[in-house]
Amino acid sequence: MKLIDCDVHAQPTEPMLVEYLGPAVRRSLERYGRRTPRITEWYPRVRNAGMRVDAWPGKPGHIWGSDPETTRAQLLDEFGVDFAVLEVLSGQDCYDDADFAADWNFAINQWQLERWLEFDERFLGTIAVPHEYPDLAVAEIERRAADPRFVAVLMPSSAMEPLGSRKYWPIYEAATAHGRPIAFHTGGYADYRGAGRPSFYLEYHVSNGIVMQSQLAGMVAGGMFKAIPGVRAVMTECGVAWAAALRWALDSAWELMRDDMPALERRPSEYLRDHVWFTTQPIEEPADAEHLVYAISQAQLEDRLLFATDYPHWDFDSPTQALPRALPPDLRRAILCENALALYELPRQPAATA
Amino acid sequence: MKVIVAPVSEFPPGARRIVDVGGRSIGVFHVGERFFGIRNRCPHQGGPLCQGHILGDVVADGPGSARVSDELLRIACPWHGWEYDLDTGQSFMGGSQPRVRSYGVRLEPGRVLAAEAKAGLVPGPYQAETFPVRVEDDYVVMEV
Amino acid sequence: MDRIDCDVHVAPESYRTLYPYLSDYWRDYVEEAGVRLNGLALAYPPGAPTSGGLPPSSYEELRRRVLEPAAPRYAVLNCLTAFETHRSAYFAAAVASAVNDWLREEFLSRDERLRASLVVSGLSTEDAVAEIERVGDDHGFVQVLLPARGDLPRGNKTAHALFAAACERSLQVGLHAWGRPGNAPTPSGFTTSYLEDYVGNQQVAQAQLLSFVTEGVFNRFPGLKVLLIECGFAWLPPLLWRLDKDWRGVWREVPWVDRPPSEYVREHFRATTAPAHLPKDEPGAVTQLLEMLGDAGSLLTYSSDYPHEHGDGLATLLDQLGEDDRAAVLAGNAAALYQLS
Repeated sequence: MKLIDCDVHAQPTEPMLVEYLGPAVRRSLERYGRRTPRITEWYPRVRNAGMRVDAWPGKPGHIWGSDPETTRAQLLDEFGVDFAVLEVLSGQDCYDDADFAADWNFAINQWQLERWLEFDERFLGTIAVPHEYPDLAVAEIERRAADPRFVAVLMPSSAMEPLGSRKYWPIYEAATAHGRPIAFHTGGYADYRGAGRPSFYLEYHVSNGIVMQSQLAGMVAGGMFKAIPGVRAVMTECGVAWAAALRWALDSAWELMRDDMPALERRPSEYLRDHVWFTTQPIEEPADAEHLVYAISQAQLEDRLLFATDYPHWDFDSPTQALPRALPPDLRRAILCENALALYELPRQPAATA
Repeated sequence: MKVIVAPVSEFPPGARRIVDVGGRSIGVFHVGERFFGIRNRCPHQGGPLCQGHILGDVVADGPGSARVSDELLRIACPWHGWEYDLDTGQSFMGGSQPRVRSYGVRLEPGRVLAAEAKAGLVPGPYQAETFPVRVEDDYVVMEV
Repeated sequence: MDRIDCDVHVAPESYRTLYPYLSDYWRDYVEEAGVRLNGLALAYPPGAPTSGGLPPSSYEELRRRVLEPAAPRYAVLNCLTAFETHRSAYFAAAVASAVNDWLREEFLSRDERLRASLVVSGLSTEDAVAEIERVGDDHGFVQVLLPARGDLPRGNKTAHALFAAACERSLQVGLHAWGRPGNAPTPSGFTTSYLEDYVGNQQVAQAQLLSFVTEGVFNRFPGLKVLLIECGFAWLPPLLWRLDKDWRGVWREVPWVDRPPSEYVREHFRATTAPAHLPKDEPGAVTQLLEMLGDAGSLLTYSSDYPHEHGDGLATLLDQLGEDDRAAVLAGNAAALYQLS
C-alpha cells in the first residue's frame, strides 16, 4: 500500500437520497424541505461553488462528487489511491426532527454502501449518524457495524452542544465498542459565539481551524478521553499546524488549574497524544516548509497525521504535490499510508483481484 | 516549432482548445481580439490550468469598492483558483491598487518578479509557461 | 530592567466608586435595580489561581502593589469593568464615561508614568465615537479598549467610525481578552469549565484578527495598530499560514486585501507577552516558535497583566531572545507603539 486518502467527499443529490427515504419523511421533505439553513448559502464559496471546476461529471443527474465513476477516474486511478475514506456531509447540519434525521442518515449510509462501497473495493465508508439523537445514532452504528467497509463514525465539527458534551458520549462509546474511530469533520451549523459571525467566506473558512480548537479543548476538559478509554478522534479538514499552540496552552493552564479538572488524571497533551489524529488537508503552507515540520513535531503528530485530498473541493490537496519536499521520507510515508493503515486496520496488501 | 491549432474561422472569440504537443498539454484561448497559449499545468499543484475560468483583474480602492478591469486577463486554476496573467504566465495574487507602485523589473521564468506594466500587483511565486499564438493565413498558429 | 508594562489592571471596588462620575439618575438606577459589580467573576473567578486577587482600586493601592515594587518606566492601565455592563446602550455609555473620568482623576492625573486605555460603549458605535471625542485628546489615554468577545466581529463595517475617531487622535486599539459573559468561544455555546474558557480567549482573538484584516480596517486606517492583550501569541504562525493560503484562492471576495494578509498582521498587530503559554521544558520548541514567528522581537510587548497569573512563560520567552530583542520586547516596542519617550 502506498496511498490512503482519508477524506473524500461523495455528495449525493437530493433525489439520490430520496430513493432510500420512508414515505412519511419523503412527504415531509417534499412539502417543507430541510429545516437547517445551509452554511453554503451564508458563506458562498467564491471559487466555483467550492468545487474543482474539472470535477463536474458532465452526466445528467450528477453533480461534483456524486458519480463514483468520475471519482474513481479522477482520484483513485489518476493518483494510485489504494483506499479512499468517504465522508458524506449531507447530514452534518441536520437539525430536523428525530424521525427525519434517522431516515436521512440511513439513506446516506445506504447510498454509500450500494453506490460506492459495492462499486469499487477501494472505497471505504464512514457511518453518518443523527447525532442530535444519540439513541438513534447508536442504532445506526449498530446497523452498519458488521460491515468492515465502514471504517469510522462521522460527526460534524459543530453541533447543538459542544462535541465533548456527555450528550454525545453514547455515540462515541458505540463507535469505540465496534472498533471505529470518530471522524469529526468540519461542518455543521456553527454559531460564532465568542467573536460573532464572520462576514466573508475567507474569514469563515479560516475559522474552521479555530472552531475545532474550541471543540478539542472542550473534549479534553469534559473528560471523554478518560471516560471512554479506547476512544479515537480524527479531526478532519480543519488544519494541523495549530495543534501545538493549543497543546501548550492546555498544558500550561492545567498546571495552574488542575483542581478545576477533576476528570483529568493526566496532562491534556497526554490525552491528545493518545486519542487524537488529524487529516492533513488543508495542509498549511508556510513560506519555509521546514516550519511545518516543526509544527508537526511540536505536537508529536508524526504518527497521527493522515493524508487527505478533500476531493472534489476547490482546496483539494494533490497527493503528489501538497506535502512539502522538506518532509523526511519516513514521515512522508507515515502520512501518506502507514498511519491510516494502523488507525483503520487496513490490509497491507490489496485483496487478490478476480 | 510551429503548431497549427485550427482555422481561424473555427476559433471564435471566447473559444478555447487544449492541444497536445509532444506530450505537453497546452491551452489556446481566443479572448477579444487576441490569442494566448499557456501550459495546461498549474505550477502550484499540477492542476489542469486551462480548464479554469478567465477573469478580468479587480481594482479595489477600499473595502466594499471593487470594479473589474478588462485590461489584465487572468486564468484561474480550476483547483485552488491561483491566477496567471494570460499574456506573461506570471501568477498574481490579489487585485490591483489604483496607485502606481512600480517595481520596474523584467520577467524571467520561475522567478518572483513584477511586470513594469502591471502596476500595483503582487506577483506570486510561480510562472506558467506561455506560448506565442498568432494568426497566419487564416490559421491560428502557435510557437512551441 | 527598563520595562513598559502594557497591561496592568485596575478596577473600582463597587459602583459607589463611580458615583462621582454618574448622574443622579444613574446613581438611583444602580441602587434601585441592584446593579452590582462582581469583579468580573466569570473572567477572573476570585478563587482561581490565575486571577491573583482583585485589581487595585485606587492610586495608593496601585503604587504600593505595582509601581513601587516593579518600577516600570510606564504602565498602561486597563479597566475591564465596562466589559460586563448589561444591554442597555444608555447605561453602557454612562458607565464607560464614568470609568474614563475615574481613570483620569484617580490615576492619570497623579503619576506621569501612567497611561490608560479609554473604554467605550460596546453597544453603540455612535456612543463609542462620542466618548473618544470627549476624552480621547487627554494625553494619558493611548488606546481604545475593546473586549475580544462580542456580538459582531470587531472589524465589521459598523465599527469603522470608531477606528476613524481613534486614528484622528493617534489612539491605537487594545483588543483585550474576555468580554460580556455568555460569549463563550465554542460554536455551541457555554464552556463547562473555566480552563476551557480561559484558553478560549486565544480562539476568540484569532477570529478577531481575521475580521480586522478581511474587513479592510487597515486599508481604511493605515495608521492604526491593534495590541492583542492577554490573548497569547504562540497561535499566530499557523493561523497566518492558513490565512495566506486561503487568501491566495479567494482574495476576490475581499479584493481590497491586496497583499498577503500576514503582511497586514505584521504591520498592524502587536501582542502582549502575558499569557505566554510556552512549553516548559522544551527550549528547542521555543526556539522554533520564535523562528516561526519571525519577528517576535518587534511583535511582542511586555505585560505583567497584574494581578493575573499565568505561570512563568515570560522567563521562558526572554531566555531565548537576544539582548536587542529583549530590550525591544520589554520597552522599545511599547514606546514606539504609544510614542512614549
